[in-house]
Amino acid sequence: MKLHRIGVAILIVILSVTLAGALAELPSVEQRTSTSQLTRRVIDGGLQDTGALNLVSAVLFDYRAFDTLGEATVIFAAVAGVVMLFYQAPLHPSSIGLSMLAKRSLDSIGPFVFLAGMYVVLYGHISPGGGFQGGVILATLTILISIVYGLETERRLLDPTFKTTLESSAALLFMVIAFGGILTGEYFLSNLSAGFPRGEAGSLLSAGSLAPLNAAIGLKVGAGLALIFYSMVKREPE
Amino acid sequence: MNIISGLIQNYFYFASIVIFLIGTHVMLTHSNLIKKIMGMNIMETGIFLFVVSIGYIRGGSAPIVPIDGRGVRFINPLPSALILTGIVVGVSLTAFALSLVIELYKYYGTTDSDEIMEMRRRER
Repeated sequence: MKLHRIGVAILIVILSVTLAGALAELPSVEQRTSTSQLTRRVIDGGLQDTGALNLVSAVLFDYRAFDTLGEATVIFAAVAGVVMLFYQAPLHPSSIGLSMLAKRSLDSIGPFVFLAGMYVVLYGHISPGGGFQGGVILATLTILISIVYGLETERRLLDPTFKTTLESSAALLFMVIAFGGILTGEYFLSNLSAGFPRGEAGSLLSAGSLAPLNAAIGLKVGAGLALIFYSMVKREPE
Repeated sequence: MNIISGLIQNYFYFASIVIFLIGTHVMLTHSNLIKKIMGMNIMETGIFLFVVSIGYIRGGSAPIVPIDGRGVRFINPLPSALILTGIVVGVSLTAFALSLVIELYKYYGTTDSDEIMEMRRRER
């Protein structure tokens, strides 16, 4: 045990010295002016290439959309693993929720949480946000419901089967949009070049396939995180 | 002295090293599995801070093109997009690791990795 501690201390010292030595050599903030060619290309041509005002969304759902598909697969795998681990766990029977005051408070803020989540998802291509962030906000709504109203109510409102279906169909929607590029003779996940309408920059229906891809990812992340939470809390406490 | 002045200029990087090392230390020295997962999350945060601060430019604004087309200096959007991916993978990893810990607790009655190893040795 003592030896273990000394080993850890030596490792930390070696790591800190090497990391500090390496990072001190990097250019400081004052010297950076974002002149790499790739960055110039994205910042100057992002709006032209994708029709999206939010350049992070443009990178995430157009230039690197294939990576986003892989990322969605990672969430899918995590959700599948967690649901599989707790598949046979019984529903905790005595989850009656919190007091009447908390319930009425959730009644009044719940719709606005949903609205905020949908706004962040659907406006992901023109304002800060996107499918992942909005999906997390949507998932907090179901977490709030299951804490405040109890798991039984949450299960009645949003059946786990419904959430599974929602997640899988959102993944399928993503794939359908992605194959739309191939059907028009372009590449997998092609956006504007595959004939998706560009729209007017800054309006809701713009940026071609970006908005529907955002919506699919938002539904998928929201349903997936809600399922993870539901599966983890539903088993009986020992 | 070169290293010290470099670190003072790049204080974002310095902070990310500190956070990363705190996470490493927590992960290596605590035997509670939940604390190990917390340490992993702290390590991730350090890496996220490092990569996002690579793209930062002094006085730069968030990379959202204004509709009226004014010329604004943007920060680099590429590291931000990369780290969005990293955060999502981190959340998935944390969720799966925590559910494995719940199953371990159900089987062994403890979340302490040393005790679990002791029990496994005795079982054999």
